[in-house]
Amino acid sequence: MKSINLKENQFIQFHQKISFKFDGVKYFGYKGDTIASALLRNNINLVGRSFKYHRPRGIYTCGIEEPNALVQIISEYSEPNTRATIKKIYEGMEIESQNRWPSLENDFGSINNLFSPIFTAGFYYKTFMGPHKKFWKNLYEPLIRRAAGLGKPPKDFKGISNHIHHNVDVTIIGGGLNGLLAAKSFINSNYDVLLIDFEEQLGGIINNSNKISLIDNTEPKNWLKETIQEIEDSKNIKILKNTLVTTYNYINHLIAIEDRFVGSKPIEGKVNSTLHKIRTGHTILCNGHIERFLSFQNNDLPGIMLSSSFEKYMCRYGLAPSKEPVIFSNNSNSNSLVYSLIKAGLKPKAYIDSRSGEEIEPNLFDLIRKNDVPLYTNSQIKGAFGNKKIEKILVEDSSGALNEIKCDCLCLSGGINPDVHLFTQSKGLLDWDEKDLTYKPSKPFQPTITLGSASGQFNFDNLNSDINEKLKTFKVKKLDVKLELNTNTKYNIEKLWEVSPQKKSLWAKSFIDLQNDVTTKDIRQAITEGFDRIEHLKRYTTNSMGTDQGKISSINALGIVSDLLDKKVNEVGTTIYRPPYAPLSFSAIAGRNCYEFYDPERKSPIHSWHLKNGAIFEDVGQWKRPWYFQINKDESMHDAVQRESKNVRENAGILDGSTLGKIEIKGEDALEFMNLIYTNSFTKMKQGSARYALMLGEDGMVKDDGIICKISDQHFIATTTTGGAATVLGCMEEYAQTEWPNLKVFMNSITEQYATFNISGPNTREIMKKAFPNINFSNEEFPFMTFQFHEFNGVPIRILRASFTGELGYEIYIPSNSALKIWDNIQSLGKEFGLAPYGTEAMHLLRAEKGYIIVGQDTDGSITPIDLGLSWMIGKSKKDFLGKRSLTRSDTIREDRKQLVGIIPSNKADKLEEGQHIILDKEIKSPIPMLGHITSCYYSSTLGHDFALAVIKNGHSMIGTKAYASTSSMSTTGVDIVKPVFYDEDNKRLVS
Amino acid sequence: MLIINCPYCGPRDQSEFSNGGEAHVKRPDGSKEIGDREWGEYVFIRANPKGLFYERWVHTHGCRKWFNCVRDTSTDEILVTYKLDEKKPNLNNFKSVVKTPSGEPEVGSGNFTVEK
Repeated sequence: MKSINLKENQFIQFHQKISFKFDGVKYFGYKGDTIASALLRNNINLVGRSFKYHRPRGIYTCGIEEPNALVQIISEYSEPNTRATIKKIYEGMEIESQNRWPSLENDFGSINNLFSPIFTAGFYYKTFMGPHKKFWKNLYEPLIRRAAGLGKPPKDFKGISNHIHHNVDVTIIGGGLNGLLAAKSFINSNYDVLLIDFEEQLGGIINNSNKISLIDNTEPKNWLKETIQEIEDSKNIKILKNTLVTTYNYINHLIAIEDRFVGSKPIEGKVNSTLHKIRTGHTILCNGHIERFLSFQNNDLPGIMLSSSFEKYMCRYGLAPSKEPVIFSNNSNSNSLVYSLIKAGLKPKAYIDSRSGEEIEPNLFDLIRKNDVPLYTNSQIKGAFGNKKIEKILVEDSSGALNEIKCDCLCLSGGINPDVHLFTQSKGLLDWDEKDLTYKPSKPFQPTITLGSASGQFNFDNLNSDINEKLKTFKVKKLDVKLELNTNTKYNIEKLWEVSPQKKSLWAKSFIDLQNDVTTKDIRQAITEGFDRIEHLKRYTTNSMGTDQGKISSINALGIVSDLLDKKVNEVGTTIYRPPYAPLSFSAIAGRNCYEFYDPERKSPIHSWHLKNGAIFEDVGQWKRPWYFQINKDESMHDAVQRESKNVRENAGILDGSTLGKIEIKGEDALEFMNLIYTNSFTKMKQGSARYALMLGEDGMVKDDGIICKISDQHFIATTTTGGAATVLGCMEEYAQTEWPNLKVFMNSITEQYATFNISGPNTREIMKKAFPNINFSNEEFPFMTFQFHEFNGVPIRILRASFTGELGYEIYIPSNSALKIWDNIQSLGKEFGLAPYGTEAMHLLRAEKGYIIVGQDTDGSITPIDLGLSWMIGKSKKDFLGKRSLTRSDTIREDRKQLVGIIPSNKADKLEEGQHIILDKEIKSPIPMLGHITSCYYSSTLGHDFALAVIKNGHSMIGTKAYASTSSMSTTGVDIVKPVFYDEDNKRLVS
Repeated sequence: MLIINCPYCGPRDQSEFSNGGEAHVKRPDGSKEIGDREWGEYVFIRANPKGLFYERWVHTHGCRKWFNCVRDTSTDEILVTYKLDEKKPNLNNFKSVVKTPSGEPEVGSGNFTVEK
């Protein structure tokens, strides 16, 4: 195929040469060229190998519908499957063809074409079944993946995308003739309007074809310039160019992706795409139409192209891909290509039309006759032939005689379809038009308006009245635009989906889906095998399942199926169109919510100290908490945890508990409210005292726990678990607003306002005395579960005597800004008493030794306080609290509920694991009744062996008996069921 | 995705809100005797209609206020929002798109693209 350059136009600058590399060879194109137009300029038409048969493929279209010309952009993080027909070139761009080895010209995989008679629909399903399941995973799948497929996944990707939200009255999708006219109506109106076009230049058909000769008695290009200027000047209209609407959701919610680097290389670290999330009152779809192809033998050869695409290359890129293409059509849409070719001083090698002479438009007839173009009416192309490019075609003329025509390019037109993709995404219904042989939008589901060819209006006669009628719900200007056409015709089409090949052969292929290598034979076979429903047929044959979603071919498939089944196309239906309209990169969807911004990280005010002191962090919700502290690089986690926990038992430890949720509750009725929220009764509690409290769901199950400090009947501070803080506050708000709006109570989170240090261990009192010399820490003055407010060096602090380790302990609450200084101070003062920091793992071990539960670890939303042995925490005299009534439901008073117990291995040297099932039999023989499972398990150097907490059926009454823990190797470990307290059962150390 | 009209803040994006299930479910008075059935229905049983539904929402990432609304569950359209202490609107005031016997809306069920 020899291309020639035509005249320069506003889109392409012949004086600005751009060099790029395709498969390692340097070529030149011009500024404004797409990869496809630049390759065509260099007479390259073989650009890739097909998905299954590795057949040579060329450039088939000139836009987003391209099924074949997919390339890998090496210079952009190796972005695969890029449509060469859209992507603009830039200086230094590196492009590679896909799915070929060792080279595009000599592709080893093309051997598949020889075996193609066996690669029919369902081949994989039928063939790769046995002899064993493992064969698929280990042999077949890797092999098939190697042989099939398109581009290679990029190795690393650092694309950045921003998200922008719009809230407008009207969104116009498509800036072609109808889109511009619609926008023109809205100029200086009271509506906020967004006009979105996929291309860099607005104009659509005005730029892409020679169909229109005059608009309002001016040159279309001049009219376009003026109109765009008027729209840009209008303050209520915003134009988004290079922006593709991919998704049309419920409630007029649109997603569009904007390419920020059209025609230049994305700069690393700069935003390269913007995802627009648009909410709109009305959507006006002006996204035009797509030309479809026709099926005949070898309709995939390089050199075959859609006729409107050929014309687009001429008008848009100043390039005729061939000097004398053959045109094959069954409709009037290709008329303007004939006109364009002759206007450019070229002429078609032949014009072949399946329609009869009477049906062909008279002015096309005249044009063809005047220029001596060979004309074949009532004729069909039986096949195209050539080696890696089209060399000749076989035409069956009206008399049935076969004519061979040598050619280097064939332009096809099988008719046009409204681009109904977005309309159907919006859940609007389609209807088959028997005259125009295509699906057209009929019933919208949302406030959706379709204009122009997107609505199925392929003629321009009713342009003004149609727009005025459809926009009458808006208070906008009426249009009166005069249009004159070059090829003054009404759209006319004759039914033709497929031409059968001249010779029957197993190797003769008429493609129905170029990207997925689906042939018309596959469709027949699928129907024969019973896959005659369109959704089944699609999945069985993979028809229209490629990245192009069958944009130029899916309607043809419906036509063929309806003929085969002898059903109307409306009865056959279409498969459901799903978003996105065209592939959308994950990085665009992720936007800035990736890497460190994926989920916010919350850090305590002491975080910097932890970093300097060997902390290994654990994620608790969004918080970073020190898991344990490594004193040197060789210390293992086990060693560190044992050292830390032992030090708490023998000397003293300090834990950064700042992440604990803290909620302040205030108000006249705060006491009544707290009594309703928590199981405990706070009425008789003294001011200045604290209480361990449980919060239940209405189903009676434990939802959270914490310590409640009562400052007065009108003022409480509650702590929550680290992960439950937001839920607990949310629950309090919900009940305060919805169930008890009569209570005067307010609550707020103070989690981040205060840092918390938990100091515990036998030496704690000495350390506290030294750190806060003005405070009396004696048992009499500062008993267990009380708190005091103090001022320390001008900083207001609250000290609570409580413990989660079982040792003498204090919690210090300090305003976050002053926390690090006091933490440092305590660290240096505490050294002589053996004070050392400990992390969450040691904390878990220490609390488990005491049998203190962790909500969410030892409970799972199916455990009541009674199951935990915490009945003493239920304020039985209270009339009501969350979940109270549920504690006497038939299910919650069952005796065989899972209850919390302690577990120790009968042989102290045995190991236990979290998650192990507790069973009664030594031998595992299925089915085996499962009593429950281990919820927490640790090795304790204080005890000298493993120990665990578990929830098991009827557990409280099983204390003192023996059972077994199943292991992952199907053996069992003998265990003793004990009370869930392993250390200092009578709390002597706690209150010492 | 929806725009929800918070009765306190005005129209805001759905991502700021959390759904709170069926509205106008009264919590039984705990100070009185409550039967197993009555309590069980309050805790576990909620209506789940296709069509118009009274629903609770909370402006979680906003004013933190709870409010009620009428939502058409077949289209996701929120027809009205109102404060907790306002009277619940009569459902007959709203048109539901659910008309077919199976409860599918005539258009937009997503199960087909061509009118049957």
